[in-house]
Amino acid sequence: MQVALKIWRYDGETGERRLQDYELDAPEWATLLDVLDLIKDQVDGSLAYRKSCRMMICGSCGMRMDGAAVLACKMRMAEVVDAGRVPVISPMGNLPVVKDLVVDMEPFWAKMRAMQPWLRPGYNEADEEREFLVSQEQMNVIHKEALCINCGCCVSECNSMESDPDFLGPAALAKGMRFVGDARDAATVERLEAYNSEHGIWDCTRCYFCQERCPKGVDPRDAIAKLGAESIRHGVDRDMGAKHAKWFVQSAKTTGWLREEELIPKTQGWVSTVKQVQFAMSLMRKGKARPLPIPHVAEGVEEARALYDLVKEQGRDGALGIVQGEHALARIEFTEEGGARRAAPEIEPGVEPPPAEG
Amino acid sequence: MDQNGFPEKVAYYTGCLATLSAKELDSSTRSLAVRLGLELETLEAVTCCGAGDIHEAEPDYYLHLNARILAYAEATGAETLMTICNVCTLNLRQANWQLKIDDQLRARVSRNLEAVGVPAYSGGVEVRHLLWLVAEGEGHERLKAAAHRGLRGLRVAPFYGCQILRPSKLMGFEDPDRPWSLEAIIQACGGEAVDYPAKIKCCGFPIIAAREETALGELIQPIEQAIEAGADAMVTPCPLCHLSLDAWQQKLEAATGREFRLPILHLAQLIGVAAGIEESELRFKRHVVSVDPVLDKLAT
Repeated sequence: MQVALKIWRYDGETGERRLQDYELDAPEWATLLDVLDLIKDQVDGSLAYRKSCRMMICGSCGMRMDGAAVLACKMRMAEVVDAGRVPVISPMGNLPVVKDLVVDMEPFWAKMRAMQPWLRPGYNEADEEREFLVSQEQMNVIHKEALCINCGCCVSECNSMESDPDFLGPAALAKGMRFVGDARDAATVERLEAYNSEHGIWDCTRCYFCQERCPKGVDPRDAIAKLGAESIRHGVDRDMGAKHAKWFVQSAKTTGWLREEELIPKTQGWVSTVKQVQFAMSLMRKGKARPLPIPHVAEGVEEARALYDLVKEQGRDGALGIVQGEHALARIEFTEEGGARRAAPEIEPGVEPPPAEG
Repeated sequence: MDQNGFPEKVAYYTGCLATLSAKELDSSTRSLAVRLGLELETLEAVTCCGAGDIHEAEPDYYLHLNARILAYAEATGAETLMTICNVCTLNLRQANWQLKIDDQLRARVSRNLEAVGVPAYSGGVEVRHLLWLVAEGEGHERLKAAAHRGLRGLRVAPFYGCQILRPSKLMGFEDPDRPWSLEAIIQACGGEAVDYPAKIKCCGFPIIAAREETALGELIQPIEQAIEAGADAMVTPCPLCHLSLDAWQQKLEAATGREFRLPILHLAQLIGVAAGIEESELRFKRHVVSVDPVLDKLAT
C-alpha cells in the first residue's frame, strides 16, 4: 500500500522545526513503526525516534499521530490509509523534545522515583512456609496498574500537567496505586500522605485523556480514583480535593442533591471564601447562588441515607468499590453496543483538529 | 422508540446544577422538548450522580446511588434515561454498564436497593445525552424542522467537554478525537461551526475549587482559541463546563488583565434561539457573561 505521512522534524542544536512530507510503499500489515523503519532505511537516515521490542512490551515508541499519543508498534497503518488520511506524526506532549520524535523522559522518571516504586514490606523474613501468599482477590486490586509499560502515552495528553508541569501525573500515580494496593506493602498511609501533596492525586482534572490513550488498559484515571478512595478510607483527607469529594457524599446523604452553594467554603474554608466576596456577589446577581442557601431536598432522600449505612456495613470501602466494576468494564468492547462509534454523517466538521506540536 | 432511535418518551434526569445554578438549562430543555415532540417524564425521587467525587470518595456508594436513579428510570417504563450533563452521562453510563454486564454485582446492588424500599434494577435502561438524541436520525430531522428561525450564520465554537467523549468505550457514540455532533447541530440550526484544537479538552471545572490556578490554566485554552478563531459565542452540552466557562471567565480576565467577554450557551439554549423559544424560557439574564451581543446580531 502507498503510505503518505508528515513528520515534525526538530533539530535540538539549532532549534529548527519543520514539517516534512514522506510517501512510500509499505506492506499491508505495516505498523507506524514499520513505516518509520522503512523511511529511516530507504529514504532518510537522519530521522530520529525510539524503538526496541516492536511488540508493545518495552514502551519505547510512544509518539503522536494527529495529536493523539500512540505506540507506533501498535498502530496499524492500513486503516489510516483506507480512510484516505495523511497523518501528522509528532513527539509526545508534556515532555521536552530532544530530536525529531525523541523526547527527554527524565521528568517522567523523576516522578516515577518520587512514588518510591518498590515494595516496603512490614516483615523482614518470610514466615515458616517461606512464602507470602497473595490471593487472586488481593491481586485483582492492582492487576491493571501492574500492566503499565512506562511508555508515557498517558502523560502526553494529561490536561492538568499542561497547566501544572509539576503534577505527578497519570503514569506515576498509577504506579503509586500499584504499591498502595499491594497486600504485601506496609507503607500504605505514608505513601498516601506523600501522594496527597500539592501536585498529587487531587490535581487530576478527570479529563480521561490518560484512560483514552493508554495502550495497555491500565486506566490511570481509575487508578487515581482508587488512590483518592484509599486516602479517604485511611483518613488522609486534609487536601482541599478530598474535602471537595467528601462534601458530595455529605450532600447526597443529607439532601440528595449537591449542596452547591456550600461547596467552596467546605473545600477552601471560610477565610478563603470571604476573600472572594466580589466573585460570590457576581454569582448572586445572576441567581446562581443565594445569600442564605436553603438546601433543595430530594424526594425520598431517606432511601439514599439508608443506602449509605447499608453499603458501609458491607465493607467494600476504598479501592474495592472501583475494583468490583472492573470485570464488567473490561467486557464492554466485546458487547454489541459497546465501543460502537459513529463516523460523521454528511456534514463538514470543519478542518481536522490541528496537529499537536511537539 | 422509532427505527431511527428517537424515543417518544424519556425519563428525564436533570442532575444537580440544572436545579440550582443552571436553572436556565432546565427551562430551556423543557421548552425544547415540546418543540421536538419529546415527552419528558421528570425523575423526582432521585439524587446527585455523585459527579466524579463520590466515585472517588466512596465508590461503592456511587454505584448504589446511580443504580437507584436507573431503577427509578426503569420504573417509568421509558427505555431511555435522558441526561443534560456530561458528568451525569459518564457516571450513569459507567454504573449502568457494570450493572448490565455483571449479573452478580447487579444482584447484590438490587438486593440492597430493595432493602431500602427502591425497586430492583434489571438493566433495561439506556443512558443518552440530549446531544446524541438530536445529532442524528429522526431527532436531527425534528431539530431541523424546529429550528425555523435559524442563526443567520452566527459563528459558534463547539465545546464538547471531557466526559461526553472519554472514555470512548463507555460512550460509544463518536470518535473522541474527531467529534462531529455539535458541529452537525450548529449547522442544522443555521450557524457556522468554528474549529479550534481545545474543543475536546478540559475546562478545569472538577478542580476549580481545590486547584484554581491549575484549572484556570486549562480554562483559558478554549476561550482564547475560540475567540482567535472568530467565534461570536460558544456552545456546550455540559452545565459544569458552562459554569466554568461563563462564571469563572471573569477570574481569567482578572488573572490575565485581558477582556474576553465570550458568551457561552447551553446546547438547549442554542437550539432554542434557532427555534424561536422565548427569552423567558431561555433565561439568558442568568448568565454572568452577557449574551446580548449574540441576540443583537441575530436581531439585525
